[in-house]
Amino acid sequence: MSVSRPGKSSSIAQTPAGSITSPQAQARIRRRQQVNRLFAFLTFTPVFLALSLLTVLFFDVLTDSVSWQIVEPRNSGQSFALSQAFGSRAVIRLELLAQGKTSEEIEAFFADAEALRKFKARNRVELMWYTADGPFRWIVSNSRDKRISDIGLFEGWGQRQELLASLKEGQSLYLNPWFDFSFFTKNASRTPIMAGLSSAFFGTLWVIGLVILISLPLGVGGALYLEEYAPDNRWTRLLEVNLRNLAGVPSIVYGILGLSVFVRLLNIGPTVLAAAATLSLLILPVIVMASREAIRAVPTSLRLASYGLGATKWQTVSKVVLPNAVSGIVTGVILAVARAIGETAPLLLVGAAAFVPYSPNSPLSKYTVLPIQIYSWVSENDAEFKHVASAGIIVLLIVLLVLYGFAFVIRRRFRRNW
Amino acid sequence: MTQTLAKDHQTIRTQAVAAEQAAIGLADFNLWYEDFQALHNVSLSFPKYQVTALIGASGCGKSTLLRSINRMNDLVPTVRVSGGVHYEGVDLYDPTVDPVEVRRRIGMVFQKPNPFPKSIYDNVAFGPRIKGYKGDMDALVEKSLRSAALWDEVKDKLKQSGLSLSGGQQQRLCIARAMATDPDVILMDEPTSALDPIATDRIEQLINEIKDNYTVIIVTHNMQQAGRVSDRTAFMHLGVLVEEGPTDQIFTNPKHQMTERYISGHFG
Ligand SMILES: Nc1ncnc2c1ncn2[C@@H]1O[C@H](COP(=O)(O)OP(=O)(O)OP(=O)(O)O)[C@@H](O)[C@H]1O
Ligand SMILES: [Mg+2]
Repeated sequence: MSVSRPGKSSSIAQTPAGSITSPQAQARIRRRQQVNRLFAFLTFTPVFLALSLLTVLFFDVLTDSVSWQIVEPRNSGQSFALSQAFGSRAVIRLELLAQGKTSEEIEAFFADAEALRKFKARNRVELMWYTADGPFRWIVSNSRDKRISDIGLFEGWGQRQELLASLKEGQSLYLNPWFDFSFFTKNASRTPIMAGLSSAFFGTLWVIGLVILISLPLGVGGALYLEEYAPDNRWTRLLEVNLRNLAGVPSIVYGILGLSVFVRLLNIGPTVLAAAATLSLLILPVIVMASREAIRAVPTSLRLASYGLGATKWQTVSKVVLPNAVSGIVTGVILAVARAIGETAPLLLVGAAAFVPYSPNSPLSKYTVLPIQIYSWVSENDAEFKHVASAGIIVLLIVLLVLYGFAFVIRRRFRRNW
Repeated sequence: MTQTLAKDHQTIRTQAVAAEQAAIGLADFNLWYEDFQALHNVSLSFPKYQVTALIGASGCGKSTLLRSINRMNDLVPTVRVSGGVHYEGVDLYDPTVDPVEVRRRIGMVFQKPNPFPKSIYDNVAFGPRIKGYKGDMDALVEKSLRSAALWDEVKDKLKQSGLSLSGGQQQRLCIARAMATDPDVILMDEPTSALDPIATDRIEQLINEIKDNYTVIIVTHNMQQAGRVSDRTAFMHLGVLVEEGPTDQIFTNPKHQMTERYISGHFG
C-alpha cells in the first residue's frame, strides 16, 4: 500500500532496506509485471489454440452433417406436416395414400410383416428441416431416388430462392439433417441415404461392455496385488517399469498380438470377443496404473486404524482401501475405456469388418464399431457419405462426452477430503 | 546431545510392579529395523487399570515400543524382535498367537485423529462388524460413544461423516472406536499433540475416567500431561529404558541424572 503513498512511507525508505520504494524498486516492479504478463500470454496461447481448434472441429462436423439436396423422388414426392403424423408408421400410411393406395390395401400391407420389412429396407422416413412446402416436414425417401445435387448448409441457404426456382418438374428440394432418428435405427448400406450406424453403435456397446467386464477385475486385481501384496523387490520394480512401457506401446502392436493369439491361436475368429480381449490388453496397463495411483492415495493412517481395530489384511483392503479408492479407479477406467472406444487400428487387424449390416447378438458375432464405420464412410467415393461420416462423428463425440461427464460426476460424488 | 548411556544400562526401578498386578510385561525385549536396533533389552511392566506414561526424546523408540505391544510392528516387513511381551500369561510373540486377535484386545489411538471417511456410527461399528459382532449394534455404539464422552455432542448426527467433527471430537471418536472392540488395554501415541488446549483437557479427563476399566499406556512429549494423567512413568533414551517408577517419584525425585535433565527440559 505504501508504494502509492511515498510521503507516508518516507521513514521506511530511509531504513537500511530503503529501496522498498525507491525509483529502482518501481522499475523492478514494472519489469516483474512485464515478465508476468509475458508468461501469462505465453501459457494462455496453447489453451486458446486448443479451444479454437476444438470449436472449429465441432462447427465443421455439425455443419457438414446437414446438406441441401435436389432429388427426383421415386415415391409420391409429397411432404407431410409435422402435425399430421407422429411416428414412422403414420408417415408411411400417408405416403401410401399419396401413392393412391386404398385403405384396404394399406391395412393388408401393414398386416404383412414381410412386405413391411422390404419397404423399410428400401425407404427411410425423414424429418427434413426444410422442403419446398415449408420447414420441418416428413419425407419418405427411397434408396433409388435420383440425387441431382448436394449443396452445403450455408451455400444452399444463400441460394435457396434460386434453387427453388430452378426445380424442374418432378424434382424436390430438401434440407436434409443426416443426423436424425433413423440414422440410429438403420444399419450399414451402400446407399448414403439408407446408411445408419445402428450396427456400429451396438457393436461398440458390445465390445466396450465386454472390455469393461474383462479389464476391470483384472486391472483392479493387478493393482491391488502390486500395491498391497507384492513384496518390494527387484521383480516387482521390473514389472512396474514394464507396465509403464506397455502403456506406451503403439496400439497396432496389440492388434498383431490379438490377431495371432485370440483370432488364430485360440481360434476365436474375427468376433466381438476377440476385439474385446485385444482392447482389454491394450488398456489394462492404463487401468492398473490409474488404480494403483488411487489405491496409493488412500492415507496410511486409515490402513493403520483398520489394522489397529483388529482387521485382517483382506478386511482392510475390501472395507477401507477399495471404498476410498473407488473414485480414482472409476475415473481411470472410464478414461481408459474412452481410449478403447476410439481405437481403430488394432480392430482392423483382429477383424472388425467395414460393412456389417446387422448388430451383434453374442460375443461370437461379427461386428463393426463406430470409428471403423466412420473411417469406411470417410473413404467412400460418393460425396454424400461425407455427411453420413459427419453424423457418425457427432455420435462418437457424444458417446465420449457422456463418458467424460460420467467420470466427472463420479469424481465429484466420491471426492474425499482427508 | 552429550549424554551417553551404556548399552547394558540397568533400568532404575522404583517400586517395581508386582508380577500379579501387571496387565502387560516386556521381558528383555529387543527390536531391530533391518540392522538398526531401536529397542535394547527393555523390561517393563504395565500395571492393570493404571495409566503408564512413556516419555523420552524424539526418536528414542516410544512409538516402536507401543506398536510392539499390539504387534502393529508386524506390518513393517524389516522388523525383527527378540525377547517377549507377556499378556495374560501368553507370550504375544509366540508363533501360535493370532496378531489380529491381539489387536482386538489391545486397542490403539494414533497421534493424528484418523476417523474413516464414513459416518460417526459406522466408524464406531467398524471394529465390532469386522469381528462379526451379533448383538445390539445401536446399544454398543451408544455405550462406546458415552465411554468416550462424545455421545451428547453427536447423538443427533450419527449419520454425519466422522470427518465433519472438530479435531478433538475426532480424537474422542477414535477412542470410542477403539473401545467398541472391547479391549482390555488402550495404547495412545501422543493422542493430544494435534489438539488445542481445551480439546487436550477433554481427552485428559477422559483418560482419568476410563482407567477404572482399561489399562492405558500413553506416549507423550508433554511433561505436564504425563504428570496429570499417569500413575507411572517410564523414561527412555535411544532405545534404552533408563528409569521407571511412580510418576510422583520420577518427577520429584528422579534417580538418573538424564531423567532429571529431560524432565526439567534441558534436552529432548
Ligand atoms: N519403519 C521404520 N523403519 C526403520 N526405522 C524406523 C522405523 N520406524 C522408526 N524407526 C526408527 O526407530 C527409532 C525409534 O522411532 P520411534 O518412532 O519409535 O521414535 P519415537 O520415540 O516415537 O519418536 P517421536 O517422539 O518422534 O515419535 C528412530 O530412530 C526411527 O528412525
Ligand atoms: Mg512416536
